[in-house]
Amino acid sequence: MADLFERGSNWLEGQRTKYCTRDVTYVRAADSVQVRATIGRTEFQTDDGEAVRIRFTDRDFLILTNDLVLAGNSTLPERGDKVRETQGNSVFVFEVMNWRYSDPYRQTFRIETKLVATETL
Amino acid sequence: MAVITDIADAVVAELNGATFSQPVSAVRQYLPKFNLPEMQTLHVTVVPKAVVLATSDRARGQGDYSIDVAVQKKFETGDNAELDALTSLTEEIADHLRRKRLTAYAEAAWLKTEQSVLYAPEHMDELRQFTSVLTLTYRVLR
Repeated sequence: MADLFERGSNWLEGQRTKYCTRDVTYVRAADSVQVRATIGRTEFQTDDGEAVRIRFTDRDFLILTNDLVLAGNSTLPERGDKVRETQGNSVFVFEVMNWRYSDPYRQTFRIETKLVATETL
Repeated sequence: MAVITDIADAVVAELNGATFSQPVSAVRQYLPKFNLPEMQTLHVTVVPKAVVLATSDRARGQGDYSIDVAVQKKFETGDNAELDALTSLTEEIADHLRRKRLTAYAEAAWLKTEQSVLYAPEHMDELRQFTSVLTLTYRVLR
């Protein structure tokens, strides 16, 4: 018997990708791929560390697992990869810090990043 | 100026006048705050930390002045070679200041150096950044 929850999840992920995403470029070294991503949690935080405080912007990207293909191979996200998001004349460069599956059926990655650079086009 | 800020400035001068395995440009700050993107370049920050005053002899008191020196840089790969270079730089800074009178504030005698944060694991994990903190203590009789 079909798993109705899985079918529902598939449909939901399809709707999310269709209606709630924007183009971003996923980069690992010289390889890159343009994917549709939903912007997840975005927070501005301060780390009250030893001696020095660091301010940073957290941003999560939701990307279909099937879309993450680098150099012709499906791949998992890796720490240090970059997600480049263009907005107006600016390119915001986010660095991958961590990732996990966003759903029980492993259709979508939730990729946790931090802003590391802003470039002007 | 206060003794502790004079000492902190002298530490900055000492670091900026020395040659290390990587170019160092130390700055003194009261409440250092940096944005993560700025940390792509090496930051060496000198921060006054604490003062402990006590009696030395009948005529003089003694003050122990603690100064933090933070060595920070966002890393690329985080492999041993990259992190070893930053750990070595921190040790070079500690060695440079150890058992030495500060040229710009010779009244301060070096007492001890503690590497209070050898490296901050949470910064490595959450920010992909190297952070090491030295706490220097100088004694001044006055």
